[in-house]
Order: sequence, then structure tokens, then C-alpha cells
Amino acid sequence: MASNTKPTTRKAAIVGGNRIPFARSNSKYAQASNQDMLTATLDGLVARFGLQGKVLGEVVAGAVLKHSRDFNLTRESVLGSKLSATTPAYDVQQACGTGLEAAILVANKIALGQIESGIAGGVDTTSDAPLAVNDDLRRVLISLNNAKTMQDRLRALGGFRPGMLAPEIPRNAEPRTGLAMGDHAAITAKEWEIGREEQDELTVRSHHNLAAAYDRGFFDDLLTPYLGLSRDQNLRPDSSIEKLAKLNPVFGKGEGATMTAGNSTPLSDGASAVLLASDEWAEAQGLPVLAHFVDGQTAAVDYVHGGEGLLMAPVYAMPVMLARNGLTLQDFDFYEIHEAFASTVLATMKAWEDPAFCKEKLGLDAPLGSIDRSKLNVNGSSLAAGHPFAATGGRIVASLAKMLHEAGPGKRGLISICAAGGQGVVAILES
Amino acid sequence: MAAAKPESKVLETAPNLGLLYAKATATAFGRGGDLPGTRLARHGVVVDPGHFSAYARVCRLPLGDVLPATYPHMLTFPLQMALMSDRSFPLAMPGLVHARNRITVLRPIRTDEPLDLEVWAENFAQHRSGAAVDLRATVSSGGTEVWRSTSTYLARGATAPDGAPEADIQVPVGELERVAATWRIPDDAGRRYAKVSGDVNPIHLSGLTAKAFGFKRAIAHGMWVKARVLGALAGRLPDALTVDVAFRKPLLLPSTVALATAAVGADGWDVAVRNSKGGTEHLVGTIRPL
Repeated sequence: MASNTKPTTRKAAIVGGNRIPFARSNSKYAQASNQDMLTATLDGLVARFGLQGKVLGEVVAGAVLKHSRDFNLTRESVLGSKLSATTPAYDVQQACGTGLEAAILVANKIALGQIESGIAGGVDTTSDAPLAVNDDLRRVLISLNNAKTMQDRLRALGGFRPGMLAPEIPRNAEPRTGLAMGDHAAITAKEWEIGREEQDELTVRSHHNLAAAYDRGFFDDLLTPYLGLSRDQNLRPDSSIEKLAKLNPVFGKGEGATMTAGNSTPLSDGASAVLLASDEWAEAQGLPVLAHFVDGQTAAVDYVHGGEGLLMAPVYAMPVMLARNGLTLQDFDFYEIHEAFASTVLATMKAWEDPAFCKEKLGLDAPLGSIDRSKLNVNGSSLAAGHPFAATGGRIVASLAKMLHEAGPGKRGLISICAAGGQGVVAILES
Repeated sequence: MAAAKPESKVLETAPNLGLLYAKATATAFGRGGDLPGTRLARHGVVVDPGHFSAYARVCRLPLGDVLPATYPHMLTFPLQMALMSDRSFPLAMPGLVHARNRITVLRPIRTDEPLDLEVWAENFAQHRSGAAVDLRATVSSGGTEVWRSTSTYLARGATAPDGAPEADIQVPVGELERVAATWRIPDDAGRRYAKVSGDVNPIHLSGLTAKAFGFKRAIAHGMWVKARVLGALAGRLPDALTVDVAFRKPLLLPSTVALATAAVGADGWDVAVRNSKGGTEHLVGTIRPL
């Protein structure tokens, strides 16, 4: 629904969200495609807020691991959902920042009065992964397809070698450095002297916080069971420092290696969606407003030639956004720092506390300072829930909006998400 | 027709369809008489997630937590086959043609609900080209019926008992000019669906085996075409509905077919699946909210 009024700015409201429980890779959702999961998630949101047959301003979502046939993944999902088929949609992709970036895009259009309502979301599967044919084989097949004569065809086929049958499997690695994301994070962990024990402590807290949130019903109106899962499959309520201490490091090398499969997020499958709207639209529909989307900021670092850590971009985005809003890092009631790796969260906070780093790299007179840990990821985060790349932003936005709403009016929440390619997305919500 | 409702025979497991086809073929001759009053049942049947996802994929249905309208047929069809392959069934199964299928979903059925199934045969009817019979099925959850179906089979050249009613295998639809989708159906479509459904009727498996039963080429399973129609309308269907389709001319494999749809009322559809070139009608049907 296009707005007829002239562009003005207003704060987009977060009405609520829905996600499916996150599954471990090659498990419960092994047979589900990105489109299956995103459609199920949209339909859950439709059911929760009575959106059946409604035309929304737009649906914005994306997937990080996406097959080329899914070029219009979000639009296809909308067409298969119970939303009106005349709801426009488009895909975005900013690695692990996809979900939050989608929310910023929808919130901005609402803020400008271009739309009255919209859904931001994301989905990813590491099970139903888009294998591609080997690049050499791909070239042979293209030549074969273009061949006009039998001779041309034979010549094209002559280029075929059996080794070309090996498919190209998507890897969680940086194309330019060839390093896995975990290996990059391990370099940063070493630079910032992040210890094994503090990483394991953060991990245990994530599991315990998420388990407690489930137990008190926090996710009852944020989640729809899917394919036999009603809680995140990776969640280990009985996680302990002792158990985590037994794991061998998987990223980094030698004595100083601290990052294990426990204090790193596992590969996972899942989807999330958040309903945003103008206050007027929400009121007209009789829907609640949990919080408002105040601002968002992205940043990027040169991890290839510039010597900055791959996952450190949110550190740079934060002071820009805080200054624009006249806020300090301490002016928040809840902090949601995406736990790509426990070490990433710890390095991020350490960087904000470091006077030399804040002066030299961020150009600040004083460090941003420390965060009250009791306000950090209070309902668990990616280490416990899992991290289907593009689905994490929607999970965090919906959960944080609900936390702020529960805490009462005038509360502020901060989101920080690191992403592949040396990028980061941060945002402010307010009740 | 049996006067009182007979006790149903409860099976512990789903019958093997390959064996039933073999049995039905071996005992095809010398059949006759009236329909048996037998009812076959299974209790507490739980949908296997692996089978359900394979079914969703082969029929291009979204993978969710609610059973598509056609899925319970996967559970009841083997029981109906057991009934039809039994010597007491008057019509020979080879040559039996699925002419019409009507499914009613009384409420959405979740994939994790234990289901009670019961099937029986009724309505032995006469048709200008032979005889027809209805294979009925009902599915209950927690003692309440949630799904029912009627599959009408036509036996060309067979004779219905004296005084039998006229078979009704027509499903009238309105104008259907608008093509919603074009599907290229590969020659292995029958084998793929057979693998999932267990319906290994030779007419669907290969050109050679289909020729043995008088078809030029292998033909697509009607229930697969019906499921694909529902897949094409995913998100645009009411929760409780009746899907009634008539299977017209066989869909020879491979083929390119067109799905035509027309909205009827707020939540209903008329549909047709036709050959893209010649326009031969393979399926026509109606979808109506309850």
C-alpha cells in the first residue's frame, strides 16, 4: 500500500516476529529448502497477526547460501504464503548481516512514508546447500550447449575430465583469503588476547539464558514449531564450563588456540521474520507496537590488506551511530551482540574499552567504554540458538523488541552483528 | 450391498503394493458377484517425516507441518488395494481406471497426529462403457473424522449387478481459458511418483510395461497430477475444502501440459490440466471451501 502523503520521517514500529526453531545442519530440516522454511515462517507470522490475504508494503528477506534458481526467493515465498499475492518482495544479501539489513530497509521505507507496513526476514540452510557443478565442467557444458555441429560437440566433450564431476560445495570461507571464518576469528582472538575460559563462560551463559527464556515462555509468541522441532536443536540447557573445557580447539593453531566447536556457532538451518509498520497502520489493524526502530548503521573493514580482523566491522559502525543519536555505549538497557564466536563478542567489547584502539582506529577522544554484562544477550544468542546466517537478524530484532516492551516504555536496546566480507551492521531499538 | 455395517479388519502394517499388484494380476480371471462388505482399517498411523518430505518434493508441495489434501491417500490407498486385489472383489484390477477422486479435508491435519484409517468399497454402478465402483476412505484423529475420500474406478467391459445405479464420473467446471502454469513433465515422472507412493502399477513405469496394458506410452499417476495442482495453488487454498477431480484422457509421458485455473467465489477454484499442444484434457476439477 503506497502512502499518498509527502515524505516525512517517523519511527517504524516493530509489531512482532516469528521464526521457526533453528535446527542443526543435516538434521530435522535436512529435506527443507530455503523456500519451504521462509514460507512456513511467513505463514506463522500471518497466523499470529491476522495478515491472511492482506497486502503489505513489501517483504524483504534473503539467504546467504542461495541456489541460482532461487533468484526471487522472497517473492516466491510470498506467492506461496497466505499473504496477498499482490505484496511486493525482494531479496537482499549481506552475509550474516542480511536479516538486520532487511529490517533497516523496511524501517527506512516506513520512516519515509513510502510504505505503511512490511516484513523483514531471512533464511538459510546448510543442509540443502546449493552445490554447483565444478567450474571446469560448467565451461565444458556451456561450450557443448553452444556447439552447432557434431564436430563442435565432440570438440567440446573432448575437454571433459572425470575429475570435473566433483561438485563445488559452498564453504564457510572468505574467497579472498581462503581462510574459514573461524580461522579469521582465531587471529582476532589472539590479537586481543581472548582467553579460552572467558569464551566458554560466555557460551555457557548463552545456553543457560536461552534455556531459561524457553522455560518462562518467552518464545511462545515469537516462534512456530516446524518439522518436529519446538526448541532450537543446538540448545544445551545443561551446558557447563567443565564440559566445554574438554573440547579440542578447531580454529587457530598451536598452544594459543582457544576456539572450539562449543564456543563457536554450529552450522544450522532456520528462518525468521519481523513485522514492521507505521504506528497508524498497527493501530488501525489492532496490532501492538513492541518497540520502534530508531537507527541503523553499517561499516566495513579491510581485512584483506588493511590488517583489521574480519569480524570487527561492528566496532567501527557503533560510534558513528551513537554520535548521530547523541548516545553513549552505556545508554542502553539491553545489548544484543551476535555470537558468531564467543571470542568475537569478547574482542568487540574489548576494542570498545581500549583507549589506544578507540583513538587510533575509531578516531575517538575517549574509549566507548564497557558494557554491563548483565544486560548482554539476556535471553541467549547464536552460540545456543544456532545461526542460520540470514535468519539471525530477524531473531534478534523480534526478541529485543519483545524484551524492551516487557521492560516498559523508554527502554533502549542495541544490536551488533558481524558479517562475512568484513562487514558489520548495528541498530538501535527503543520501547 | 451389506445391510449392516460390518466389523472392520484391522491391519498392523501397510500392505505391500507390489505384491498386491502381482496377486491381483494372477487372480484377475473368474471374478464376479457383488461387492464384498469388508472394511479394512489401520489404527494410530503416524506419518513418516522422510516419506512425507519425499512426497512433498515429488509433488512440488511446500514442506510444512500440515498434510496436503492428497497426502492421506498415501496412507489409505494401500488398504484400498488390499481390498481390490482380494478374490472377493468382483472386478479384475488390471484394466481398472481411476476416473474420479473426491477428497474432503474437514480441518487441517498436522503431520504429527496419529491417524485412524478405514476403507471400504460401495456404490457398484453401471456405466455405458462398463461398470464403476467407489473406493471410500475415512481418516480420523482422536475419534473425529478429519478427512474422507471417494475414488471412483471404471472397469471397461465389466457388468454391474442388475438394477445398479448410473455411475457419476463427471465433474462440471466453468470456463477455463486462463493458463496459470505450463509444466514439462519428464518421462520418468511415473517412476519417481511410484517410488514414493508405492503405486507400481506397470502402466506408470515404462513404455514397454504400459504397452502390455494397451497404452501407447507410460502414463502419469492421476493422484500425482492432482497433488501438483494443489501445489500450484499453495497459499491460495482454504483450510477445510473439497477437491473433486475427474481424470479424463491419460497423460502420456513425457508431455508438456498447461494448468488452467479460475477463481470461484472467495476461496474456490475450477481447474483443468490439458496438453499444451492438442488441448487434450487430462484432469478437470473443482476446489470448494467447506
